[in-house]
Amino acid sequence: MFMSSGIQKIALIIVFSFIFISFGLLYWQVVNADTMLDNPANRRAVLLESRIERGGIYDRNGIVLAQTKQTEKGKVRVYPHGEMFQPLLGYATVKYGSAGLEATEAANLLGMKEKSLVKKMQNTFELPRQGNDLILTLDTRLQEVAYEKLKGKAGAVVGLDPRNGEVLVLVSQPSFDGNTIVEDWDEIVNRQGSPMLNHAFAKYPPGSIMKVVTSAALFRSDFDTTELYSCQGFTIINGQTISEQNHKAHGWVNYDLALAYSCNNYFAEFGVKAGDKSFLQAAAGFGFGQSIPFDIQIPSSSITRDDPLPDKLSLNLFAASTFGQGQVMVSPFHMALITAGVANEGKIMVPRLIDRVLDSQHNIIYNYKPEVWLEALNREEADKVKSAMVLAVNEGTAAPGAIPGVQIAAKTGSAEPGGDQSTHAWYIAFAPADNPVIALAVLVENGGTGGGAAAPIAKAVIEKALELKEGVNQ
Amino acid sequence: MLNSFTLRFLTLTIFWLGLLVLKLSNMLESHFFSLAAVFSILIFLGAALEVYLGYAGDRYLIPVVQTLLAIGLVLLIRINPSLAQDQFIWANMGLVIFYLVLFGLRDYRKLEQYQYIWGLAALALLLVTLLFGVSVHGATSWIKIGSRGFQPEELVKVVLLLFMAAYLNSNRELLRVGTIQVGRISLPDRKTLGPFAFICIIVLALLAAQKSLGTALVFFLLMIFIVYMVTERLFYLAMSVPVILLMGTAGYILFGHVRVRVATWLNPWIDSTVGGFQIAQSIFAISGGRLLGTGLGNGIGAYQIPLAESDFIFSVIAEEIGFFGSMAVITLFVVLVLRALAIGAKASDRFGQILAAGIGILIGLEVIIILAGVTKMLPLTGLPLPWVSYGGNSLIIHFILLGLLTNISHNSSFSMSEVRIGKRVGVYE
Repeated sequence: MFMSSGIQKIALIIVFSFIFISFGLLYWQVVNADTMLDNPANRRAVLLESRIERGGIYDRNGIVLAQTKQTEKGKVRVYPHGEMFQPLLGYATVKYGSAGLEATEAANLLGMKEKSLVKKMQNTFELPRQGNDLILTLDTRLQEVAYEKLKGKAGAVVGLDPRNGEVLVLVSQPSFDGNTIVEDWDEIVNRQGSPMLNHAFAKYPPGSIMKVVTSAALFRSDFDTTELYSCQGFTIINGQTISEQNHKAHGWVNYDLALAYSCNNYFAEFGVKAGDKSFLQAAAGFGFGQSIPFDIQIPSSSITRDDPLPDKLSLNLFAASTFGQGQVMVSPFHMALITAGVANEGKIMVPRLIDRVLDSQHNIIYNYKPEVWLEALNREEADKVKSAMVLAVNEGTAAPGAIPGVQIAAKTGSAEPGGDQSTHAWYIAFAPADNPVIALAVLVENGGTGGGAAAPIAKAVIEKALELKEGVNQ
Repeated sequence: MLNSFTLRFLTLTIFWLGLLVLKLSNMLESHFFSLAAVFSILIFLGAALEVYLGYAGDRYLIPVVQTLLAIGLVLLIRINPSLAQDQFIWANMGLVIFYLVLFGLRDYRKLEQYQYIWGLAALALLLVTLLFGVSVHGATSWIKIGSRGFQPEELVKVVLLLFMAAYLNSNRELLRVGTIQVGRISLPDRKTLGPFAFICIIVLALLAAQKSLGTALVFFLLMIFIVYMVTERLFYLAMSVPVILLMGTAGYILFGHVRVRVATWLNPWIDSTVGGFQIAQSIFAISGGRLLGTGLGNGIGAYQIPLAESDFIFSVIAEEIGFFGSMAVITLFVVLVLRALAIGAKASDRFGQILAAGIGILIGLEVIIILAGVTKMLPLTGLPLPWVSYGGNSLIIHFILLGLLTNISHNSSFSMSEVRIGKRVGVYE
């Protein structure tokens, strides 16, 4: 029949073209759906927001930290505490996108993480939608104290409940006011001290607080940490002079005294004796070179610039690393976790900032359970570090953080950032020493000594935490 | 076999379900109810008319097209209500014009005798556009008459198909066999090929001159496919490949906006705020639809993609009713094209065969090229999606094409024996 085979071939060509297009659709709608959602030019999440009411963010006692309010001008995101919780909470704007928790928890806050099909169907037909509320583990009363103390300086305060990993306080300074982010954008971006950067998640040289990590390596070697060592104020290892702060000679010290007085020579000598393998193993045990399981991405702490957790260290770099110099970098948040690990018999719990997620009808959608992240120390080792940290408070460098009537355990650090800048002041502590309810790390950038600049902040926060704890008990 | 009323009922169920979803989302203004009612009544009246006048052609073509039209209307209400209002008027007019062509044109065969008039009409329409046209979205394809615009290139689709069908029918043997031998290939002589090649080349040149590159591409492929279909010589099909490459390269060198199109096709993300905006937004919308879609009225593409109501309407479909929904729409088009080709295969005369299959090929090409464009499988060439996209010109012309198609189908549905005994068949009295 006239041209019937021609028609058949044309039909085949057309049908195959349509099949080809179907595969194209599959490629975008199934294979690449998530990739496209992550494209920064994709405004899906932001636009969906215009039709969804973003859920609120609350502290552990139900105090509002962020809320969407309806005004004559439309929906406005309100942060009642100004810059106190920033940049942790972040912002969510049409113009500048989003950051902080507002960004990482957008799926929850916008109610787009629905699992059940029924809820999905409901959402399809129900507009405007209401997002989910986030209940954080933070305590505004502690946050207030830490914020007031750190205000005007640069640095961070991170406090956790060592028993379950709940983040109780997280302050970063300088910060910005989320209420006026759009109006003040240019000023904030150009302001000194990086207010948009969460200093709790930034990395700094730890200085002497690193000795807590090095301790594990010492315990696991075959020498006796109760034996005395004579500190001359300096020592030479492999041609490199290791000196004490202000060249002070500590005299005869054992492990406890060395930590209490923050003796660099002791930790360098015995750390080197223990070996770089043992030191790196201890560091790995505390989470160096690992990503911290947390809602917000935190850069992993590192031993060297090139490799966060190398297989071996050159002797000179190794010696400096034992007391937290060299190339060691750690975030205040990780340091708080390390402290919490010591406080919690060596077990570091998975840190949690979000306690639960509630939908608009107040049903709990997610409820987070405590989990162990790392077993950094065994119980005996943890006890040894703790008693040395107690000694540091009672007789050593950490004394400025002591609280009358309550035994705390603490360690100072004064880390040299390099150049002529004054040292970063560190203070890590937990209290009460025997039954810890809070473990924290305080960092004041270029603040001088840990005892001078950081200890008073830690002290104020711990006092408040203990006061609140007693209040609950009564 | 499904009763034609049952199929209309199904079409309207889809239509009213769509409207109901929009109503629940507060996206349906109340005046659309009367428009939708008029549209629904017209569809049933049409079905009644088919029964009354004894329409004996293809049963599925009309319901399939009406379903596509209904889907388009629902989406347009969702994308832009004021445009949707226009589209309802075009849709109703289109239905009336369709039935006029189907039942008013007594015998399509008499269209064959005007072959050169069709060819010259195509040239004239395009020439007038080039001289008096106004530029919209970079292409000079519109003629303004008062406040109304008219797009002659849409009408050219009809007259060019009529010309090609008529011409190829009378010259098929010569094109098939050829009279001049070049190596192993025999080519038709200048007298046979001349007029056809002349009109085709001038049509393509005029389209290129007015920068309607999408339409030019559709017409070129249409010509090649029809010639291939009639002659069944692979030579003509194979010849198109170097020609496409040559024309593509020439276009790339000659036209700045072709270079932009190609660049944004290769990487729309770099410049997603400016040049690549459309295609990137289209992909964001499509990928957001996933398998089941965001739900009607919940997508972002409708706000984000420029020309969401015309060239990019499929992206909105893919987003809001998902992969499954867009596959359903594609299936409707596949059914439509295959039915058209089947009518072509069964038509009682060769002119009708070529014309019907040509209409099928034309619709198939239009759909494939725009879908491949919005899914970033080919560089984008702006074309409306037949019956779905907003636009009166395209809608009316495609209804005329559907009218011709069903007319051929109807007239071919009677057996040859009836014709031989001199019975007047297929003619509405």
